Amino acid sequence: MSALFRPRSNTIFKLVLLLLVGGVLGTLGGFMVWARVPAGTGQQDPPLQPVQFDHRHHISDDGIDCRYCHTSVETGSSAGIPSTALCMNCHAQIWNKSPRLEPVRASYFTGQPIPWVRVHRLPDFVYFNHAIHVKKGVGCETCHGRVDQMPLMEQVEPLTMSWCLDCHRNPALNLRPLDQITAMGWTPQGDPASLAQDLMKRHDVHTRTSCTTCHR
Amino acid sequence: MSVETRQMATESALADLLEGPPVLVGSPEDRKLSEDIFRPVWEQTRRGWLALFGITLGLTGLLFSAIAYTFAKGIGAWGNNIPVAWAYDIINFVWWIGIGHAGTLISAILLLFQQKWRTSINRMAEAMTLFAVIQALLFPMIHLGRPWFFFWLFPYPSTLGVWPNFKSPLLWDVFAVSTYFTVSLLFWYVGLLPDLAALRDASKSKAARVAYGIFALGWRGSARAWRHYRIAYLLLAGLATPLVLSVHTIVSFDFAVSQLPGWHTTIFPPYFVAGAIFSGFAMVLTLMIPARKVFRFEHVITQRHLDNMAKVMLATGLMVSYGYLVETFIAWYSGNPFESFVFFNTRARGPYAPIYWLMITCNVVVPQVLWWRKARDNTIFLWFVSILVNVGMWTERFVIIVTSLHRDFLPSSWAMYRPTIVDWSILVGTIGFFGFLFLLFLRFVPAVAASEVKELRRELEHERHQQSHDQAAHGS
Amino acid sequence: MPPLGSGAKLPIYGQPAAPDRAPADGRHPWRSLRVLGAGDGPSREFDEGAAEPPAGFSRRTFLQILGASTALASLQACRPARQKIVPYVRPPEKALVPGTPVHYATAVSLGGHATGLLVTSHDGRPIKVEGNPDHPASRGATGSLELAMLLDLYDPRRERGFRRGQAPLAYRSLLRELTALAASHLADGGSRLRFLTAATGSPLLQDLRRRILARFPQARFHAYESLTEDSAREGSRLAFGRVLAVRHTIAQARVILALDSDFLAVGPEALRLAREFAGRREPGPEMSRLYVAEAQHSVTGACADHRLRMKSSEVLGFARAVAARLASRHGHSQLAPMGATPSGSPAPGDVRIAKESAAVADDLARSSGRSVVMAGSRQPPAVHALAHAINAALGNAGKTVEYAAPAFDDTTGPASLQPLARDLAGGKVDTLVVTAHNPVYSAPADVDLGTLLGRAPNTIYLGYRDDETAARCSWVLAAPHPFETWGDARAHDGTVSIVQPLIQPLFESIPEVELLAAFLDLADQGAHRILQDYWRGRAKGPDFERQWEGWLARGVVPDTAIAAEAAAPHFVEIAAAVKAAPQPPAGLEMTFVPDYKLHDGRFAENAWLQELPHPVSKMTWDNAAYVSPATARKIGVEDGARVELRLAGRKVEAAVWIMPGQADDVVSLPLGYGRRRAGPVGSSVGFDAGPLRASDAPWFAHGLAVAPLGGAKHVFALTQEHFSMEGRDLALAFDAKAWSPEKVEHLKGPSPTMQEPVDYQNQQYKWGMAIDLSKCIGCAACATACQAENNIPVVGKEQVLRSREMNWMRVDRYFSGPPEDPQVIAQPVMCQHCEAAPCEYVCPVNATVHSDEGLNEMVYNRCVGTRYCSNNCPYKVRRFNFLNYRGDMSPTEKMAMNPDVTVRTRGVMEKCTYCVQRIERARIETRLEGRAIRDGEFTTACAQACPANAIVFGNLNDPRSQVSKLHQDERRYDLLHDNGTRPRTAYLARVRNPNPELS
Repeated sequence: MSALFRPRSNTIFKLVLLLLVGGVLGTLGGFMVWARVPAGTGQQDPPLQPVQFDHRHHISDDGIDCRYCHTSVETGSSAGIPSTALCMNCHAQIWNKSPRLEPVRASYFTGQPIPWVRVHRLPDFVYFNHAIHVKKGVGCETCHGRVDQMPLMEQVEPLTMSWCLDCHRNPALNLRPLDQITAMGWTPQGDPASLAQDLMKRHDVHTRTSCTTCHR
Repeated sequence: MSVETRQMATESALADLLEGPPVLVGSPEDRKLSEDIFRPVWEQTRRGWLALFGITLGLTGLLFSAIAYTFAKGIGAWGNNIPVAWAYDIINFVWWIGIGHAGTLISAILLLFQQKWRTSINRMAEAMTLFAVIQALLFPMIHLGRPWFFFWLFPYPSTLGVWPNFKSPLLWDVFAVSTYFTVSLLFWYVGLLPDLAALRDASKSKAARVAYGIFALGWRGSARAWRHYRIAYLLLAGLATPLVLSVHTIVSFDFAVSQLPGWHTTIFPPYFVAGAIFSGFAMVLTLMIPARKVFRFEHVITQRHLDNMAKVMLATGLMVSYGYLVETFIAWYSGNPFESFVFFNTRARGPYAPIYWLMITCNVVVPQVLWWRKARDNTIFLWFVSILVNVGMWTERFVIIVTSLHRDFLPSSWAMYRPTIVDWSILVGTIGFFGFLFLLFLRFVPAVAASEVKELRRELEHERHQQSHDQAAHGS
Repeated sequence: MPPLGSGAKLPIYGQPAAPDRAPADGRHPWRSLRVLGAGDGPSREFDEGAAEPPAGFSRRTFLQILGASTALASLQACRPARQKIVPYVRPPEKALVPGTPVHYATAVSLGGHATGLLVTSHDGRPIKVEGNPDHPASRGATGSLELAMLLDLYDPRRERGFRRGQAPLAYRSLLRELTALAASHLADGGSRLRFLTAATGSPLLQDLRRRILARFPQARFHAYESLTEDSAREGSRLAFGRVLAVRHTIAQARVILALDSDFLAVGPEALRLAREFAGRREPGPEMSRLYVAEAQHSVTGACADHRLRMKSSEVLGFARAVAARLASRHGHSQLAPMGATPSGSPAPGDVRIAKESAAVADDLARSSGRSVVMAGSRQPPAVHALAHAINAALGNAGKTVEYAAPAFDDTTGPASLQPLARDLAGGKVDTLVVTAHNPVYSAPADVDLGTLLGRAPNTIYLGYRDDETAARCSWVLAAPHPFETWGDARAHDGTVSIVQPLIQPLFESIPEVELLAAFLDLADQGAHRILQDYWRGRAKGPDFERQWEGWLARGVVPDTAIAAEAAAPHFVEIAAAVKAAPQPPAGLEMTFVPDYKLHDGRFAENAWLQELPHPVSKMTWDNAAYVSPATARKIGVEDGARVELRLAGRKVEAAVWIMPGQADDVVSLPLGYGRRRAGPVGSSVGFDAGPLRASDAPWFAHGLAVAPLGGAKHVFALTQEHFSMEGRDLALAFDAKAWSPEKVEHLKGPSPTMQEPVDYQNQQYKWGMAIDLSKCIGCAACATACQAENNIPVVGKEQVLRSREMNWMRVDRYFSGPPEDPQVIAQPVMCQHCEAAPCEYVCPVNATVHSDEGLNEMVYNRCVGTRYCSNNCPYKVRRFNFLNYRGDMSPTEKMAMNPDVTVRTRGVMEKCTYCVQRIERARIETRLEGRAIRDGEFTTACAQACPANAIVFGNLNDPRSQVSKLHQDERRYDLLHDNGTRPRTAYLARVRNPNPELS
């Protein structure tokens, strides 16, 4: 009687086995990779905003300090999104005819707020507080990147828990003098390590890795 | 010639007297053996099989719809509460894991001890083990409040930057049970290879041949293959042996490591292992006695097998009883008011006392009848005993888990536990699912390891020749 | 209600009034930075769908699903959908930093008496009620009722808008119609115009009432309260010839005799008296002694050193026996005429009363001037008068008890309802304005108000909910929540508080002020202006605005308390009245008691209170006919048996619960249950005592017949089913004589452990708690506060029956001694924050771990729900979300969530966190200021609410902190110390101070 299997069926069989095992491992690995690449974490993906607001222009060209608009960054948990009234402080005079600013004027006169699209999102069970980070010498740039080079606001850091923990476990190298908090592209003069240790002392910075530091 | 036969007759009679009935009745030809053992696979599907299959299929459906309902509603679909946060889920888990002990014990340990009587029962026992462990594996997953995060139980590099808690016995469970399942599966499958090949060669239809052919992994029975096969089988046996002890030891840690009166006991590991083997053998008997009858395996699975298994049950049953005794003694001897309250008040006289006494009856009293050979020889009777033991071992887990939890340290938080219809569905469902798998096994795979039985026959004949030679030598 | 006037600035408590603040227009201060679609319920105010009823599948859900499905189409589905940020258009007052809560002072009234509150407002949403330390009736404490009022604010089922018959009315047209209606009554001077109001001390409302009466001289005002204080009122009139408010100050009292007075838990003075009482419960020569003579088992009775069980009707006899003894033995001859030694009859009751009254009298006399006799508002005037007499004789008047003109003097009981009923029956009323709380439900059985309301063409009901009264009235106007409107209120001592709104009305409603103003053609002015106009006239000195700001900021108007005055009782009249009082008859007695949770029934729709375990019986979602074990045997019933209570031809059905310590031959049924029209939460919960409660016997009546009905037992859902301690050292109590520190030596100190214990001494903070069982009165205010602070869901009766209640904090209550007359001890238990926590090492995913400061942390978002931690917790303080207890929250319900605390999902374990959100907030705030947290700068929700200061929280590494001192106290012990869990929560053993002559 004829052979039940041809010789190459061995190869096919091995291939099938390989595919099965590889497929499973590949899927798992794929998820792990996805959780780490920008596409998965939402980096480098600036959303379109209702108003074409250009951070680059306002910071570099106009030299406006972050805190002029994000008023509560030193006092509250949220940095604060500027009210329409604040925009109008300037734009009542300059560009007060520009069609690009039409939504802002509309908001101001109708009282309907501007629905900005959130860029930096933390889960609801994470309690992040801007004030304390700023007070301890973590600069805006450390988490938000070179905003002065962003025509459209985008997320530059992964904002994963392990990313938070990296700094919470060893904050020293992410600290800067309080007068440099809002500076963009700041680099420490002299020996970074010694400055870091000095700042740790001066700002009384501790490593905070207890769960309830962020989850309550 | 005639002398030899006579001698042989007397020999066998003597053997009968000394070590009970033979492990193989007569010495059938290979062909005869193959026919007998493979018959269930070839023959027409039986009505009874179909009926049972239908029932178990229905129960399997019930199981998975109950699980689906639980996922949709939450653990609240069960009767669990505070303080009784674990109930049927963990009871069933421990029960099934325990049942899943006999197979590996029979195949691995008895193999290492070269017990002849393991040969014709190991296949069925291993299958039983496998299917029982599958039932058990359901529970660690479905008893979670948020089962969709089950993968957090495995140590993998996550972007959360946190790892599982390696101090937790539950984590040890995950490793122990999955390892045990993998090894049992391999062990069973490797053992199956020669028979699958035999089936492949003997099947009539092309489809069957291809199917069996694929699973036979191209086994040709060459001497080389046989040598590798032996080594592999022995290695797996060596691997499996410690697992038999480790798995239930670790399961018992779930309780022993806690500080709850009635759980916090150092005797749990040995006592759980003994209980596991106890219930495992009970389940093997529960399944094997009918199967043996239906498929007319009496000459392969002889009285001798049943008798030995009954003896093992008796022995382990006594160990379990000893466990109960020591637990209770320590509770009194320790002088810890909470401990003694659990054993002398909550269990023996509390609201769940009937279940406690049912446990004592089934696990301590009933097995004692196995001291009598008559009881062991009466298969029907033996079958009922085995079922009672299964019930008893389930109630034991109920007593340990629910009764200890429902009245612990602060009387203010004492409360009763009442199972819901979903709890019952899952319990009955797993039994159905178990039966479903076992029926499939009986239908498509030889329930007795034909190759090994043939081998056994040769061994036996060889022995007889030896003996007869010796006799002859003495005679002259 | 029109937007708050442009003058509406809300000064923040603890912040200096800032007149230079930019004028905020009425709307915006309550707008806030809102994050749409976030899970843990940030403000949904004015969101789309906010006005819709909570539908199963609302447009919002539909849109979410739509969005989700489209998102799924792309790979982006692996990332959460983009959220929107909606900033202010115009920023609010400087003080409001998004995400930073602020406190506003206001006040709420019960029975006309105000309690000052501080309401925490988070991004413009009131999310937590706390006591105002500057307010005389609160002193920083709160009761369960005040705390739970917050839930009513966000209840989507509350009354909305206005309707006449079935026709809806717009606000403007309502005002027009009301004005027209008022005008129609001008002709006959309002002779056919009636008002049925609740008792109120509000100066503004009283002023409006005066002005209405001036405009309509023939009109009549009737005040009605189900829990009336008329007999106290009459008692003072009897004793002093004029109505006087009685004020107790027991801070110095050595001996307290409470004649059926539940002063620790009920009444306008409860919070303050509880604190004063607790202040003298440490063992020592200065320790006070409390006698309580009562029938039903009350909170105060549970705290008594001697609880003297007797029928409510026997209390007078007991008081007279005390008076007699004082007269005969201690030379207070003026008491002789009203005294009466109990007849020497061999009846055991008389013998007992003789013995006890003698002992009590001697004790009272021994500490004359530092003792006090209190009469409960359930007792007839004679008892009150007698109490006044005894206090005067003992020289307590002016020391432990004071008298002053009352903040308001209306009769509020049946007496004030009857004339109205007569007029209605006689068809003498065209327009009846009802602002009382659901009088149709709470009216006496012999006044069928429901039918009578039909006799008047125009019945206008200002109600908060669609209740029994709303069903009978031709006009139904939605009332605003106290936190939504302007007004004023007076405390028991007369201190005035301005009631300020904390949020724009969530639904259209009209405040009582505007409703009454409509009868003066002032409605369109709005409550704020009317209120300011009233007070502008009464402000002392110039710059009213500045004073006003100050009043709002502090929550009290200075020097408005009514001065106490000397009052001498007329012994002769009192004696006459006392003698005239009938002898207590034999046989079963029915007593009606105010409920600790539903008050008079007005909180029936408040799920927090419905699920709050009854302080003594631990019963939830029910009331019961409480009887003593002996009486139960006599009637032949057991727990849950259905019985029919027959009284004077009227009957109600109820289920029995056997209450240890209940007086024999007494059936007591709490008021406020058995509501027929109280929405899904309150309808047909418990049994309505109303049909048995007649005008002539509003509190207790004899001649009760109890007929067992048989049939299926009623199922009661209790959170604690086992009341014995099984001889374990759990909640420890000792008699002062028997007490010595050695008694608890074996329950403290280091216990042998295998590992070296972690040392937290070098940490900056080591948080700990101490609970003094001597002070704890078991009122369960802590449990309610915890529920409000920590977003704890309500699970419903069926789940409580399955013992799945979610309260992080429970008040265990154990009985000891004979079931007829047991001793009671309450023990608050929450997570003990063990330093060697059994729950931690068993969690497979590290969801519960220790913080660097030794807190036992529960990380909800990491929990997979194995429930192993709960099994291994010896205190069983962990709670598991067996089902999705939140369900689909309506937009307003989401607003009630505390945004600082994660809302837990199904399948997650949770437990007390020591209010870690408050710890972290305090830490951040102080670190921003570069300093350490001071002791008492913040505390947990339970400790903050506790009227008795029984719970103290603080830093154990600060040797000067109060909690450290308490941890060193000789009475300190650890719960289940032998387990070696080393809990951070320490208990202080209770010490009782019984009278040797009675033991």
